[in-house]
Amino acid sequence: MNAPFYKFGLFGDEASFIIAFLIGIGFGFFLERAGFGSARKLAAQFYLRDLSVLKVMFTAIITAMTGLYVFSRLGMLDLSLVYLVPTFLVPQIVGGLLLGVGFVIGGYCPGTSCVSAATGRIDGMVYILGMVAGLLGFGEVYPRIVNFAHSTSMGQITLPQLFDLPYGLLVFAAVLMALGAFAASEWAEKRFGGKQPDPEGSIIGGSRRLTPVRALALSLAVIGLCAAFAGDPYRGHHTTIATRDLEMRVGQGADLIEPAQLADWIIQDRNDFRLVDLRPQKDYIAWHIPRAENFPLASLTPDFAAHNEKIILCSDDSLEAAKAWFLLEAQGFKSVYVLSGGMQGWKDFVLFPVRPQGATDAAFERQAQVAKFFGGSPQASNTEASSVATPAPPRVAPAPLPTAPPASTSTAPPRKKKEGC
Amino acid sequence: MNLEQHTPRPYWNSYWAGFGLGLVLLASFVIMGRGLGASGAFTTAVATVVHQVAPAHAENSPFYSEYLGDGTHSPLKDWLVFEVLGVFVGGFLSGVLAHRLKFTVEQGPRSTTPRRLAFAFVGGGLMGIGAKIALGCTSGQALTGGALLNVGSWAFMWCVFGGAYAVAYFFRKQWI
Repeated sequence: MNAPFYKFGLFGDEASFIIAFLIGIGFGFFLERAGFGSARKLAAQFYLRDLSVLKVMFTAIITAMTGLYVFSRLGMLDLSLVYLVPTFLVPQIVGGLLLGVGFVIGGYCPGTSCVSAATGRIDGMVYILGMVAGLLGFGEVYPRIVNFAHSTSMGQITLPQLFDLPYGLLVFAAVLMALGAFAASEWAEKRFGGKQPDPEGSIIGGSRRLTPVRALALSLAVIGLCAAFAGDPYRGHHTTIATRDLEMRVGQGADLIEPAQLADWIIQDRNDFRLVDLRPQKDYIAWHIPRAENFPLASLTPDFAAHNEKIILCSDDSLEAAKAWFLLEAQGFKSVYVLSGGMQGWKDFVLFPVRPQGATDAAFERQAQVAKFFGGSPQASNTEASSVATPAPPRVAPAPLPTAPPASTSTAPPRKKKEGC
Repeated sequence: MNLEQHTPRPYWNSYWAGFGLGLVLLASFVIMGRGLGASGAFTTAVATVVHQVAPAHAENSPFYSEYLGDGTHSPLKDWLVFEVLGVFVGGFLSGVLAHRLKFTVEQGPRSTTPRRLAFAFVGGGLMGIGAKIALGCTSGQALTGGALLNVGSWAFMWCVFGGAYAVAYFFRKQWI
């Protein structure tokens, strides 16, 4: 399942209007069922007589919130594709206060006024007229307050991002807060509204039985509790990057892998890494290191490989490799390395190694064997090194030599083949 | 059907109505990748009418022009407009099924109809203005943004409750 369906192109705009109408019917239906076609019922919220507004609103919010969390965490929905209204803090505070005042005076909010008018409430119809008048007035005044309306812009930002807390933890906090508010509401209704709690329909009042309402509250609390420990629901689009950690790894050269090391791994046929060739497809087809898979930079989506796989990037463009390395790190891949010196490094150190001055045959023997394994040939001296059999890509500046090879992760899973695409 | 013969059914329990509403909101997220709304549809309608009456004025306004689309189709061909049409129909259906259709004015025992209607008009106007400043109303901001843990929506939501409780005392004669 790839949700949101509309964003994945499962249907077009025409169909979306039919869906809008159906969703609207559901919206209006439940608003009316809750009693929100009646201004008296709505306004009673602000005199602590009947706190249906709070109860309905927070039940809806935590139901949708936990549902979204579960779908996202199971990978069925991409939360980053759900539209988020950008935050303009001060205008939203001022607008909220105005809405609150208008709510008490008018008795409705825009959504509930529709339901009220549809069920014959004349005050609801007049409210809508007033709203239209307000919008007309606002439209005329807007050019003069546009600077204020766009002030304190924070962009699209969620509370977990603002407070740098796990998303699931805030889901749990919201659920707990809502349940606490429900208990307080029921208490207030009894205290100020003189309502005897309905044993079937309340959370704190009545018997000790697990009524359906309590089962609903308990289920939401349990999902919230699980969410608190179940991690981030975003599909790796919003990750925090430990810059200090990156800095140290780059500084130590731990983000690089030596060609000789890679050659050994290939010869040993180790299955705990994936070799990713970033070059254009035609270069890849012309020649590539054995085992390499071709993934140009643009195809490195967060799901192109498992995040705990060891990934080794090779390219003949060191900038391209660095970009890919950073992209994958940012996407949450755990161990990403760049082949030191790129394709040229591979040629220089593996395919056509040059015998160092004064090195003995024995010392060079192993390097020569490796070169032959990969179809290359050892070179006797520096002067001959330039004549290579394979198409030579333009030489790029070799990356600095690392001081330590990366630690191998023995716990890596078996190599996973690229799927589809 | 003679509605007078039926007594209105009681409203649903708030938690179940809220749960139903939450599922509708969740369906909107899953199917469309967006939440619910209300005030936006009225803004589109207002912008369309202004555009009909004074095209140049609407197109030059930074406010109306945002709601007029690219001009290739009617601005009323908009997701929120269809959704709000559905809200009217859904509210009507629920009202019919529960025998709650009635031409009446909702007010407290100490209120008078002319004053109540004047207040409804003023309240509607304030809400229209507030919703535009805040980029959404109780549906688009509080419900939708609340479920998405949106920073601005939560600030907005607390301010709606705060603003309402702050002035509720002065309007008590209308309601209680």
